[in-house]
Amino acid sequence: MSDKQNQRLLKEAEHAVLQQYTRRHFLKDGAMGFGALALGSLLGGCFGKSSASSQTLFDASNPLVSRPPLFPGKAKSVIYIHMAGAPSQLELFSYKPELAKLDGLDCPQSLLEGKKFAFIRGVPKMLGPQAVFRQRGNSGLWLSDNLPHLATVADEIAMLNAVTTDQFNHAPAQLLMHTGSARLGRPSIGAWVTYGMGTENKNLPGFVVLTSGGNNPDAGKSVWGSGFLPSVYQGVQCRSEGDPVLFIKDPSGMDRDLRKASIDAINKVNHEQYTEYNDPEILSRISQYEMAYKMQISVPDVMNINDEPQYIHEMYGTQPGKTSFANNVLLARKLVEKGVRFVQLFDWGWDTHGDSAGNAVDIGLVNKCAKVDRPITALILDLKQRGLLDETLVIWGQEFGRTPMQENREGKKMPFKGRDHHSAAFNMWMAGGGIKGGTSYGETDEIGYNIVSGKTEAYDIQATILNQLGFDHEKLTYESQGRNFRLTDLSGKVITDILA
Amino acid sequence: MHFMMSKKIISILVLLVLGIVFTISLIPDSRIDYSAQVKPIFNKKCITCHGGVKQQGGFSLLFRDEALANTKSGKPAIIPGKPGESELIRRLTATDPDERMPYKHPALSKEEIKILKQWVKEGAVWGEHWSYVPVKQEKVPDYRDKWISNDVDQFIYQKLKEEHLSPTVEAEKAILLRRVSLDLTGMPASASFATAFLKDSSHKAYENLVDSLLGSSRYGERWTSLWLDLARYADTKGYEKDGSRTIWKYRDWLIRAFNADKPYNDFLMEQLAGDLMPDPDDAKYIATSFHRNTMTNDEGGTDNEEFRTAAVLDRTNTTWGALMGTTFNCVQCHSHPYDPFKHDEYYKFMAFFNNSRDEDHDLEYPLLRHYIPADSLKLNQLVDWLTKNVSPEVGKNYYTFLKTWQPTINALQCDDYLNGAMLGCNAGLRNQGSCRLKNVNLNQKDQLILRYYTSLNNGKCLIYLDSLKGQLLKTIPLIYHKTGGSWEIVTIDLPPVSGKHAIYFKYSNSTLKSFDETGIQIDWLSFGGKFPGKGKAGFELALKSFNELMEAPVESIPVMVENNTDQYRKTHVFVRGNRSVEGPEVTPDVPHILNPMPENAPRNRLGMAMWLTDPKNPLVARTMVNRLWEQLFGYGLAETLEDLGSQGIAPTHRELLDHLSWQFMHDYNWSLKKVLKEMVMSATYRQDSKVTAELLKKDPNNRLYARGPRVRLSSEQIRDQGLSVSNVLSSKMYGKSVMPFQPEGIWRSPYSGDIWKISDGEDQFRRAVYTYWKRTAPYPSMMTFDGGAREVCITRRIRTNTPLQALTTLNDSTYLVMARYFASRMNELGGSEVNKKIAKGYELMMYKPISEGRLNALKDLYDKSYAKFKSDSNGSAQMTGLKEKSNPESASLVMVASALLNMDEWLNKN
Repeated sequence: MSDKQNQRLLKEAEHAVLQQYTRRHFLKDGAMGFGALALGSLLGGCFGKSSASSQTLFDASNPLVSRPPLFPGKAKSVIYIHMAGAPSQLELFSYKPELAKLDGLDCPQSLLEGKKFAFIRGVPKMLGPQAVFRQRGNSGLWLSDNLPHLATVADEIAMLNAVTTDQFNHAPAQLLMHTGSARLGRPSIGAWVTYGMGTENKNLPGFVVLTSGGNNPDAGKSVWGSGFLPSVYQGVQCRSEGDPVLFIKDPSGMDRDLRKASIDAINKVNHEQYTEYNDPEILSRISQYEMAYKMQISVPDVMNINDEPQYIHEMYGTQPGKTSFANNVLLARKLVEKGVRFVQLFDWGWDTHGDSAGNAVDIGLVNKCAKVDRPITALILDLKQRGLLDETLVIWGQEFGRTPMQENREGKKMPFKGRDHHSAAFNMWMAGGGIKGGTSYGETDEIGYNIVSGKTEAYDIQATILNQLGFDHEKLTYESQGRNFRLTDLSGKVITDILA
Repeated sequence: MHFMMSKKIISILVLLVLGIVFTISLIPDSRIDYSAQVKPIFNKKCITCHGGVKQQGGFSLLFRDEALANTKSGKPAIIPGKPGESELIRRLTATDPDERMPYKHPALSKEEIKILKQWVKEGAVWGEHWSYVPVKQEKVPDYRDKWISNDVDQFIYQKLKEEHLSPTVEAEKAILLRRVSLDLTGMPASASFATAFLKDSSHKAYENLVDSLLGSSRYGERWTSLWLDLARYADTKGYEKDGSRTIWKYRDWLIRAFNADKPYNDFLMEQLAGDLMPDPDDAKYIATSFHRNTMTNDEGGTDNEEFRTAAVLDRTNTTWGALMGTTFNCVQCHSHPYDPFKHDEYYKFMAFFNNSRDEDHDLEYPLLRHYIPADSLKLNQLVDWLTKNVSPEVGKNYYTFLKTWQPTINALQCDDYLNGAMLGCNAGLRNQGSCRLKNVNLNQKDQLILRYYTSLNNGKCLIYLDSLKGQLLKTIPLIYHKTGGSWEIVTIDLPPVSGKHAIYFKYSNSTLKSFDETGIQIDWLSFGGKFPGKGKAGFELALKSFNELMEAPVESIPVMVENNTDQYRKTHVFVRGNRSVEGPEVTPDVPHILNPMPENAPRNRLGMAMWLTDPKNPLVARTMVNRLWEQLFGYGLAETLEDLGSQGIAPTHRELLDHLSWQFMHDYNWSLKKVLKEMVMSATYRQDSKVTAELLKKDPNNRLYARGPRVRLSSEQIRDQGLSVSNVLSSKMYGKSVMPFQPEGIWRSPYSGDIWKISDGEDQFRRAVYTYWKRTAPYPSMMTFDGGAREVCITRRIRTNTPLQALTTLNDSTYLVMARYFASRMNELGGSEVNKKIAKGYELMMYKPISEGRLNALKDLYDKSYAKFKSDSNGSAQMTGLKEKSNPESASLVMVASALLNMDEWLNKN
């Protein structure tokens, strides 16, 4: 097929899309007659059904069209780094000198009453901080020596000291953080954002997921799933080994010219089908095949870090061709640079129970930190030098924290120093994307066990992320099973104290 | 001009007359229709603040008794018959913005206020929503048009006339053949069915084809795929570890049930309560695995009661969502905001499900134990012996125990650990360690059966009554060399004790110096009477059989078993849906707005199943008929399959939906095949799916059916038809799930050694319904084509159209393999010319000759491929997957075959 023909096909496809768009508006504006039948699907739900914002943004013929948010946001994209397994805040971000004094003593009964732990049984011992803390930057933020590089950008960071959750198992806690519900079945935050804003780069998915650490997160692919949203909004997992996107590579023996020839032939056949049947879905398919062809070039291209200059590799600690957290962080920068809306990183292996050296807070944790400290710091500096930090929200997340007590699995002393899951209080931080650097929000008690002020729930973090992108978390809704759902369920408030 | 004028006048006159007739026809019955006129105003304008969620000013419009009750002001807001005295009406027209309702929102229109006034004047009568009224026999319209083929068409035709549309002619045979085969069997018809149909020129040809397809065993596989979404079937347990679950016998049960056309009422009854039906056989137990497809959480330290409750809630929601098209889950937290279901009615219904034995146990107890034939025989002999020598009832009890290990108490119920802990779901005790089992009924229980594990010598388990200092009931010696470190079941006699007591278990081993090693792990306990029939002939043999069968090697599958009276759980309302805040206790019941429980129905799952399958139940038949229609036409008659309530999209053809639902229950005795046949035999279904620009504008989604359905196929259909046309599809049925090719690295579950091991031989090419389904990492191509993870019930798949779908059918190895096989088929059957080979390929797919334009496009692709492969023998070897026999011709044909498998008309049914 000639280029001219291609152009014509694409024009027609675009036209069909516009028609669909108009149709949607026609329905939205509430014309009477047959169109009104469909209106019920646009309005509705348990709460606030009739508000204008509850109307669906989904357009089956062009679900990923770039859309402005509800109000101008500070951030255009998000890099959400989740440390799966939950690192110990007491060795990284939460400076508790009082805890050191209690090291080795029996945990007071008052802390144990009515509490349930994943592994602690009976009366455990308190475990003092296993790291040295110092104040950093102009803001004087306390950070431990486990993260020496991050310490150099402390003034870019807004630290949340009093994050809390009601889940103390990995899978449900991860789900709560990312989907607003500890149960399966809700869309992830990246899916919500893609549903709300579409994708800026037509040749790349709007929501990309990268994992490292040898395992997927405990909650599996549901943490980047689309739940009840159309499946087109689910995160696309890009892999640093094998094909970067499943099935993106042409079969061996086929070159690009031949792939072009085959897509041309398919589209020509499909166009003939269109002239016979007149169904606009056929034109949609034609344009999706075109996009698939373009993605075959653009995805491997953006996923390739070989061409990055040496100083960048040194900065991030990246080694092309390997699967590593550092490589994923550099890829995240490349992806947002190309217009990807939401990049979700999961790094597995932070579950420091003390059942092995690799899971000890004074051994394994230190090694894990050494692998992430440099790349995360490089990301912030690199985004800044490219002028992208202001419009890119970077988040350090985890599903919960760790206990100030030493874990005593089955009531026994453990071979190494470890801490059990702790849901009541832990840390997260944000940077860039309209966040005020050098701030600190919330307080915990002297041993980091309970929150004293500035309680921050998963919903608040989600509301804040959406706010930075230009969405009122109460208004970004989708109707499913008879009610309007939103990411933050019935809660959530924007953490205004950390906004620039 | 004159003529035109008069025509116009005539039409105006006609309209006037019609208008008068219409108005007159309304006069005798001009009362306001609550459901059609009043309820929509309430839903849209009032109920957010005055409904199930909020009752501002103490006023709610959800139920009549609530709406007529005193509000906060002390007076009712509606006084039937007296709009002038009704606060409701006054507030709608008040001028003070603080008084005028809807508060801070635009006022109601004059027309709306008029309707409400008139309605109050007529007595403020509440009406019922269409789907909550029992299905009535509908009067079939009586149009005489030669297009009309059966009753379905009468209803469709009526609406088309109203909308000034005409139906389309029947699609050509080739199109019909493909459409109806994919719809009824999920894949292309076999060559013999296809040839028979295409050659048959009689008027019965199409009906014969339909009958053949309905009789084919492929039919059951196709409809099982649909049901697996509703049943949230998966081969794994879900949550973090997402370990394997062996439950595929349920999938096979479904295939057999669909193929045998098991009446839908029995089909549901057995799935909901097969275990409670008289003398349940294995098949009836396996049917109940329907509700054992809920997830089980193995993650360390999770609260088993929390996840047991999650499973019970899921069963309640699935029963309503999948089987009754109702968003009952809304009622979990508050009265339904729009539909007449009260908050406590959710928990009354949940109470039906709250007494099954499952407890989120890692091993998924209770399991149906499937014996090898010799042991089955032994079991039957044992039950016969007990029936003859003791009583039939005792025979049944022993049968149930040996088939399910129930009734037993799971050791996860133990607490009060000293030097011990719950290990997984077992009670683990170290030296001198102990734990407690609360509240055991010991009346007439003089025997304990205990399943345990030890790997140490010389230990013993001591059993105390009431406390560790209480009466020592028994000491059990635990011997390692006997068990070889495997699980063992022991039977021990207990001294007679009456009443309910705490039982303490203690492990002691005097040869151990340390207190750290776990000496015993207890799995379950069963308190009962001694094996009966002592003294009767054959007693010794019977007892021996019993002991052997208890530990016989079995295959097993999770099933439903009901609690006995000792284990009965009370059900409470969860205040605002929060499990930790218990409200009043409730007992099993159905919502008051729907049909009452049948008179002879017990208040348990069986009774609930009887209620659900009672023809008076207004939702069950409608939901299924609507779903079948959606499978054939792309949209349900009511689009929201999951919500037939007042917030769902109203049906386009309610009378047709009711007519088919009535036929389904009464004329067809719940036969799915008959109701499907009624649908596919209609002229409506058989129409050509071509659409004019004008019709497309008027009815973009074909909700009026002025043309035939044109819908993208499901992920299962796309895979199956590809394997079929490439002639590699295995016809093997049933058995454990298979693992066809998938790229490396899809499965990376933490704490799990499970791997995707590609199946051998023909198992690579089984129908999609047999593919292993892992919840946290489902088969990628199925997900790309809109399959779901099946963590919870999927009531409807939303079709999308994405570039990832294109990449899958272009590049997934499975599709490349199909293209290779398909190319070699084209080569064999197409003769010597390239054009003929291509034409043959198209014909094998579409049953009709290829058009010139398509042929030219594909021949062009062939030529370009040939030009490349001619000078690239390596590339052509890779493309064909053959080293020696590869040549540029066959490689080029693979390119064409792949393009054919990506045609839009192939991915859709026309």
